[in-house]
Amino acid sequence: MPGRGTGDEGVFIGIGELPSGRYPTRPFMGDLVNVAVRAVRDAGLAMTDIDTILLIPCLHSPADQADLVFSRVVEELGLHGRAKSSYMVHSGGSTSDNTIRAAAGLIASGRAKNILILQAEKWGSAPVKDMIDMLTANGIPREWEKLSGLSFNAVGALITQRYMHASGSTPEEMASVCVALREWARLNPNAMYKDKPLTVEDVLGSKMITDPLHALECPMLADGAVALVMTSESNARRLGKDAWVRVVGSGGCVSHYSIGQEPDLAVLGWEKAAVKAYEEAGWGPEDADLAEIYDSYAAVLTIGMEGLGLAPKGEAARMFAAGEFSPGGRFPVNTNGGLLSAGHTGVGGGTALLAEGVRQLLGRAEPARQVEGARRAVCGGSGGTYMDSQVLLLEGVRR
Amino acid sequence: MSDPGMEALTEPYYEALARGELIVQHCKSCDRNIMYPRHLCPFCYEADLDWVPVSGKGILHSFAVQRVGAPTGFEDDLPFALGVVKLDEGVQLLGRLWPDADGEWSGYRCDGRVVFAGVDADEARRRPVAWFKRAE
Repeated sequence: MPGRGTGDEGVFIGIGELPSGRYPTRPFMGDLVNVAVRAVRDAGLAMTDIDTILLIPCLHSPADQADLVFSRVVEELGLHGRAKSSYMVHSGGSTSDNTIRAAAGLIASGRAKNILILQAEKWGSAPVKDMIDMLTANGIPREWEKLSGLSFNAVGALITQRYMHASGSTPEEMASVCVALREWARLNPNAMYKDKPLTVEDVLGSKMITDPLHALECPMLADGAVALVMTSESNARRLGKDAWVRVVGSGGCVSHYSIGQEPDLAVLGWEKAAVKAYEEAGWGPEDADLAEIYDSYAAVLTIGMEGLGLAPKGEAARMFAAGEFSPGGRFPVNTNGGLLSAGHTGVGGGTALLAEGVRQLLGRAEPARQVEGARRAVCGGSGGTYMDSQVLLLEGVRR
Repeated sequence: MSDPGMEALTEPYYEALARGELIVQHCKSCDRNIMYPRHLCPFCYEADLDWVPVSGKGILHSFAVQRVGAPTGFEDDLPFALGVVKLDEGVQLLGRLWPDADGEWSGYRCDGRVVFAGVDADEARRRPVAWFKRAE
């Protein structure tokens, strides 16, 4: 493949993460610099080795977003006068996938050496009502849909209703997805719900928010921060790293902007995205050791898994109910607890899943949830009203 | 935030809703129906755009009933139902769904037939949204 296997591809060498949840006294910029330092140290680099910063947006505050855009992080990290560029990539929940593509391209072309990918969000500390209103401007056309009172939970409900109809999945099976994710979150010290068990009865007994979604099937908004460090593979070797993670496949499909224009709410763009990604990687879903796929609602995850070939069409929720994707099950999925149980950190939810995939392949997850011998991971993100389906296939390298 | 100039697209559509009619955009160059209304035809990129009435009949692709957590300004509408409708004319849109006589939406199902049933002019001016009811 052109540009591949040259030894100069972008690879992951470091991760940083702060616990997700409600941390009203953790300042936004403080989270960013703290998580940046963690990731750079984890990578074994000095901060001054970073020449490019790619920023993943926040959605809680236009003022904080402006700070990101206008390089405040560069100054806070003492990189002013040294950093080549600092800029934002933004496609909502699929931002991390698109950011990694940008980073990989910059490194492979020699236009960047060491890239810091940085994200923080304060959704958990923001007023919920304000965030509900803010989200009606993110992926909902103001002239044609916003006037109907469409909320994000209703977007999730439209997808869930269609998925349940198409697959014949029961409310219990849908609830079991949330339960499996909670089991994973219980093994993740950074997860919002690490200390709170969950049962199918709890989920189905919770208040109906937007039929068919119960309260405990709606993602809880959270504060959180994630950072990743990428460099070239040759540099990773030169630095004497014993492990790094390659991006071996990538594919995407933007299937709509308005939820009312999606041709099939139980399919979305995953199948098209998957074909390209697996072709590029030269391996298929049957070769994967784990998956980390966007899961702001259970059906968003089951649709993604089916489109990516990780479960037969219509069977993913039933397989969750059978424990196949839980800790100790056949195939590990969303091992950090996902957005639904680690916390929905906005655009960062996808970043946290991607970081978890990288962490697993580096062998640096806590022992209780480390997937033994994990070598290949399927990562997927989706933005806005699930407007796009973005896939990255990752492969761990050990020396 | 308003988007000056958008009235050319929104006003004919909203005015039709206030008359109790559902219309969709139509490209005279390539003879295709378009939803949502666009500045240029998304098929042939010509600007020869017009409006055509539709039957209002279609299939309910999916629906949701909002009971809690409405966006600001929609609290008094609760509970209300939203549906994605695929019109027989080959275009689709998001609309509101009328409740059944019991005030609920349990009679609706995915892939069931629905038909446009507009609200009165005052309500259509307040909220220019297409409303549908069950047709089976």
